[in-house]
Amino acid sequence: MAERSSTMKTPLNKALAQRRSKRRYSRRSCGEGTYLGYTSGRQTVLKIPTSRKKPKSRDITNQVDPDQVALLVKKEWHLSYVTPLYQFRYTMLKTYSKELSAFLVSEKQQGQTIETGQELCFKVNISVVLGLAETNQDAETIYIQILSKQVFAAKDEAQKVVWSGLLTCINGDVDYLRSLPPEFVSLPLLCTSGPESLSALVKSWLKKTFDCCFGPICITSTNLQWLAALWTGCHPTKNIQYLKLAWTIPTQPPMDVTYKVNPQDVWKLWDSARLDDGAEDSINIEEVNSFIRGLQTHFFRHFRLDLSAGSLMRVSTALGSAHHSGKIKITSPDYMTTVLQLLTECALLKMPI
Amino acid sequence: RIAKERWLSWNAGTPWMGNDVLERNLVLVERMGLTRGLPPEVISTMLDYAMSLRMGGAPCVRVLKFLIPATVVPQEAIVRAVAWLCVGKIAISTQVLFLKWVLTFFDMIDSKDHLRSIYGFIFNFVTEEHLCPYICHLLYLLTRKECVRPFRVRKLLDLQAKLGRQPFLLHLLSLYKVFCPELVTTALPSKLRVSGGFKNHVTPWKGVLNAIQKRNTGQVTSDIRLTIGVKDGSNSRKRKCNHLQLPSLNSAVQRNLSSTNSRKVFPLEQLHSFPELLDNLHRIELPSQMGSLLGSSLALCYLDYVQDDSAFLRLNFWLGHALHEEFLFCSREGGSGCSSETLHFLNRLISTQNFLQEGFFSTESFLYKFLNVWDGSLLRPQILGLLSHIPVVPSSCIHQLLFEPLMQLFFSSTLFFKCSVIECLNDMLLKWLTWHSVYSVEDGLDISLNSHTPMNMTLSGFMDSVMELVLFVGRLATVGLQLEGCSSLLLSFVLDFYETVCDMFLKFELPLVVMPPVGVFYPALFATDPVSVDRLCFIMCRYKQNLTAAKFQQQEHVFHISSQTYREFNRYQLLMVSTLWNSRLFQPGMAVEVDHNLLALSKVPEPSASFTLIRHPAFVGYALDFHLKVPFQSIHAIMLLPQANFCQWFDNFFLFCS
Repeated sequence: MAERSSTMKTPLNKALAQRRSKRRYSRRSCGEGTYLGYTSGRQTVLKIPTSRKKPKSRDITNQVDPDQVALLVKKEWHLSYVTPLYQFRYTMLKTYSKELSAFLVSEKQQGQTIETGQELCFKVNISVVLGLAETNQDAETIYIQILSKQVFAAKDEAQKVVWSGLLTCINGDVDYLRSLPPEFVSLPLLCTSGPESLSALVKSWLKKTFDCCFGPICITSTNLQWLAALWTGCHPTKNIQYLKLAWTIPTQPPMDVTYKVNPQDVWKLWDSARLDDGAEDSINIEEVNSFIRGLQTHFFRHFRLDLSAGSLMRVSTALGSAHHSGKIKITSPDYMTTVLQLLTECALLKMPI
Repeated sequence: RIAKERWLSWNAGTPWMGNDVLERNLVLVERMGLTRGLPPEVISTMLDYAMSLRMGGAPCVRVLKFLIPATVVPQEAIVRAVAWLCVGKIAISTQVLFLKWVLTFFDMIDSKDHLRSIYGFIFNFVTEEHLCPYICHLLYLLTRKECVRPFRVRKLLDLQAKLGRQPFLLHLLSLYKVFCPELVTTALPSKLRVSGGFKNHVTPWKGVLNAIQKRNTGQVTSDIRLTIGVKDGSNSRKRKCNHLQLPSLNSAVQRNLSSTNSRKVFPLEQLHSFPELLDNLHRIELPSQMGSLLGSSLALCYLDYVQDDSAFLRLNFWLGHALHEEFLFCSREGGSGCSSETLHFLNRLISTQNFLQEGFFSTESFLYKFLNVWDGSLLRPQILGLLSHIPVVPSSCIHQLLFEPLMQLFFSSTLFFKCSVIECLNDMLLKWLTWHSVYSVEDGLDISLNSHTPMNMTLSGFMDSVMELVLFVGRLATVGLQLEGCSSLLLSFVLDFYETVCDMFLKFELPLVVMPPVGVFYPALFATDPVSVDRLCFIMCRYKQNLTAAKFQQQEHVFHISSQTYREFNRYQLLMVSTLWNSRLFQPGMAVEVDHNLLALSKVPEPSASFTLIRHPAFVGYALDFHLKVPFQSIHAIMLLPQANFCQWFDNFFLFCS
């Protein structure tokens, strides 16, 4: 009773009521506006797609600068997810480059060991890769390159690229991206290639400057199966040359099984797995499941080993390869956006809110 | 401790040999140093005594060997020790030992500016042959651009000519070259191994230091400090769960934006007291990493005031990330262990949420996911503490999100878990009711709690959620009491909950009255401990008062308490009175009807009166006490009193019992 009377006595002016309602807005709508409000459990299930569009071969060099495309392919990338970056401005990339190189130098001086082990001078290049983004909500991809030059080397000695990184968002979930306030830029996928120590330094600089958080991505076996199906489906237009799958069977000692299939045969199997009444340009999860089951039953018939007891670790074709621990390599630029889209989904699924 | 105090105040002019007091004190300090590390004042005093050679050369070495700091090394001690070094009386091997000591604990020196100011003095030692490598290493760590001078470069080059191209000299020269390339013109090899340049000295302190640090970090307290502590870089050991470490407080990087306002901004990290906060309220700048605010109540005050959406979102992203990485995505074998760091982190989070009196929505979404995979025993108090801060959940999803996982955990758990869950849900209910009573004051009854969401939480929606929660707890309590055999511990927690529920109308202005289920009422009425019966009576009294007030106000307001509730209450009331007072327990027409043949089988005389106040099994203790203390004759005398005084006798009895 006491608290009731005391609150009655406070002036019930409009300002107070206004402030109270604003307070409710800021606390609640943040939760509601972002992806996982009250219905967090349900939303996560909804996010996992059960059907995807069939990848179209696109000459990506039409949209993206071919030099930049060359930078992205044929490298093995480590994947991490990134929470949205706060106050990241595309106009200030040069400033960011200078800051990052100054940070690297100062960290090195403080004694952080850098595996290259030499007295090096770093130069950082941060640039935008235009053309990769698919929808209006996707932010433009950022490419970070760290070049090194030895301190006492001759002036005209070439600079070597020691580390490169890619921050990207391809066809991310539109509702989620729209729900973020405008100060945040969401580039949920980080691909890094280079020494781990430099990756750690770049991540800590990004953490300090843009208040974001990083974490590893594991490509689940379901997603690896999706990749296998998607790549196989590309065979008519671009020869995949082989489909190699690697399983780990939990025996004592653990057994690794690598299964390499002729592209023609695997294409026939995939074609038969496609449902007759399925839509022409989209692939269903059941089709993927039956495709993989077909491969597994074939193996069982010959070797009497049921591969579904193990877990799929690695998928590779001529178009690229993906490993369960979060490593990806794209060898052909044609279907790059499809792969990046799938990986962006994986990254978005790991967002904490 | 006491020995140290004595030592500190002791004048060490006494001779070394045969000095028992010195020996004893030395042993005590040595033991302390080797187990827990020494605090800064002791370090400086001991270093001073050692280096001044007041006790002679041998104790100096001994003291240096156990001089392990617990937290920081004050830089004045080092400066004084270097001063003693300059006197030149100390043996070379001891000097080397001292330098090794400085290098080992270099990271723990609290600040290096005084050391930098005596750079020149330290530099002078470079000419000593035996000390040269260590001095070079120390200079390497201390050098800044202003220290590079031509005469120093010349000296180093001369040394190089004398000693050859030693790696430590080369390293120092290369560092000079990086700072001032124009002063160092000699060609230096472009390949210089960083880590191998300075020899890894054999340090006798490393192992002990690691052990001490490990022990000490486990004892950090978890309460929020008033000031914002800038995280010192001394604890640079790699931790396995890096994500639980709060980021250090840095001010936001100054950007040259054309639209910067000219007023001076006051970075949050310089804030040390509440009056300072009030003075600078309009120009405080938020730090670059919001996660660093979690431990400081000053910063949270400010955050609460400023109501910045993006600031909260940043904090929630960081918090959500930390919780997910630690508990949900962890790939460590053996699960996310309840190490002291996780415990500390969660305790801090709970105290923050208590301070703000509201939970973070990232914690909420994390908990919904975590409850499904929780085993019920990992960090139970912390998780349940976090759970009680969840804001009102709409009744459409409360079952799936909250009740299902709790039910699964509840029925197969221990008694203590059941009690903790009931307590947690009681706290949750209290918080919901408090929140409602604070926020719905101005707007009248039909409030829309948040008009921006698709889920409009109106008053009726809120009442639905509260009703769902109360009914759920009723179900949990019923089954729980059956499973645990009406344990009085569980019963007391359940009655706690119903004490909150019974007063919902009068205390919290919520027009909702929910009666306890029979599964709670009967065990409480027929309980074997008097406290439960007493509390049940109290709860029923409160229900009566609430219902009478509701009935009275019902005519004026819109709400409506169903007659079903009144009927239930009347039934309970009737039963209670007939049991405790009227000796009409098993009579026909009461709620509990038992066939009198069955009652005769029990061989209890007067079964209908067997649960009255006098004969209730719960009050046997009091009855026994009464008989022991009041002599039989006076009872006999009282029994002969006329009927009118019988009530007085009863009154005496009650007074005696209370």
